[in-house]
Amino acid sequence: MSVKILTVDDSKTIRMIVAKAFRPYHCTVLEAQDGIAGLAIAQREQPDVILLDYTMPVMDGFEVLARLRADRELKATPVIMLTAEAGRDTIIKIANLGVRDYLIKPFKNELLIERMLRVLPLKLKSEGLERFKRFDDPIRILVVDDKPAIAVWIREALADTPWRITDTDQSGQAFDKCVDPGADIVLASLSLANDAAYMLLQELRSHANTATIPVLGMSIRTATVEQARAQEAGFAGNITKPIDADALRNSISRALKLDISYKYFKQCGSALALTLPKDSHQNASDVVSLRLDELLGATVEAGGDRLIIDLSAIDTVDLQVVKLVISALESCKKLSMKHAVVAQPAAKAMCRKYEESNSWSFVDSFDDALSPAKQPGK
Amino acid sequence: MTQQIDQLEELTQKAVPEVFQVMLSMELNAETPAPAALDALGQIVGSVGFTGEATGVVYLYSSLDFAILITSRMLGIEMAEVDHDEMVNDAFGELSNMVVGYIKSRLCDAGLSCTLTIPSVVRGQRLSIGVPSEIQRRIIGFRNCENHLLAEMLVKQKK
Repeated sequence: MSVKILTVDDSKTIRMIVAKAFRPYHCTVLEAQDGIAGLAIAQREQPDVILLDYTMPVMDGFEVLARLRADRELKATPVIMLTAEAGRDTIIKIANLGVRDYLIKPFKNELLIERMLRVLPLKLKSEGLERFKRFDDPIRILVVDDKPAIAVWIREALADTPWRITDTDQSGQAFDKCVDPGADIVLASLSLANDAAYMLLQELRSHANTATIPVLGMSIRTATVEQARAQEAGFAGNITKPIDADALRNSISRALKLDISYKYFKQCGSALALTLPKDSHQNASDVVSLRLDELLGATVEAGGDRLIIDLSAIDTVDLQVVKLVISALESCKKLSMKHAVVAQPAAKAMCRKYEESNSWSFVDSFDDALSPAKQPGK
Repeated sequence: MTQQIDQLEELTQKAVPEVFQVMLSMELNAETPAPAALDALGQIVGSVGFTGEATGVVYLYSSLDFAILITSRMLGIEMAEVDHDEMVNDAFGELSNMVVGYIKSRLCDAGLSCTLTIPSVVRGQRLSIGVPSEIQRRIIGFRNCENHLLAEMLVKQKK
């Protein structure tokens, strides 16, 4: 889902400058020309951050902010205040309003971006052209914890992955390590002294080359207040101690949006093969749904003409599997692709239990599916 | 009272080039005010007032051509894309607001608390401002290549 930035300013010029500044990023900039319109759009669109002009006719930024804070759904929305008035008293007043940050006009676009990156990570559109990292890529993980045993444990828990773990118990060194040798993700203890994990997050967000590095907080399970504070501050998630190895992998995968679709998809000549795993149907369904249309389109573009759905490895056909196959078959229909569903007798019998799948045709083996003469469906 | 108009002139001399540098990446140099150099085809005047411990108005005058250049630089678009009056008026008004916002902030820090009025923009030819005798007035000039900008400052004397 796209990040939403709402700019509330009576000056169309400022709204245009803001919209232009964020054009290179994956975000949507919404505009309001006064406080009343700003509140209405905020309630409707639930923006991720609001850039609010301080001096406006009709309803000034002060009143807009007060109303935002009184709104149950908007009170936590970060606000960056813009003002042409930089006097000490005004700045103190703005700071006391509970805004996340402020920006004084005139401002350079670079400063606007920098302030925004402190509040939320924005991705450059050009970054979207890069391929997603895969689960089997050498992901660089930096562990920041003053308890060395935690880094040791994480290293052991991830020993069967190609991931590279570095660690530091000095929060002051963490930022430098993110720059050189570099990190794809940071795991930082929320209990570090002097809010060091939060300071690190702020510092990473304020530099363009580190702004999009996700930071996961680490805390004990009962530290719910700290976890909520970290979520509000922009941490990408939380890992509870004692750390569960599977949960750790899942959190890292989610935060980095690691591509694990290669586990399920394979090109076989003119066919795209989709092999569903023995279990974990929910995970598979999420990943397959995300990439299916893109990969089918690429298959057709490359001269391919069919999808093979291989159910022969699965133990149980549940509704999740049925829905996934239906979705895949619909995608094939849209692209005029042939399809074949490979299943063993047990899986076929389970499919026939559901109204949605009881009329499906199957082939008995993957080789049969590859043979055009034996394909049952188009 | 003379002190306030001196203060305002000094602040305006700093504020105008600063705002132009930050928002437009454009260097402005001080020059002897040259009202006649403004475009005979039309002028644009942006003004923002302030009231409180210090009360007055700052007007910025430029030719329409220069205002179009300012708008294009401010918005990062080609001059040909600046295609309607509203765009120029809004940009010129916002620029005036930033200049006077800068001045107001420093006046407040110096103990002269005041609030700003909303910006307004006027267009016309051979525009001039008439003021009563108790109003003190200064005009300073700026230049960028062949483009000229005037800043006129008015301060009301306290009785």
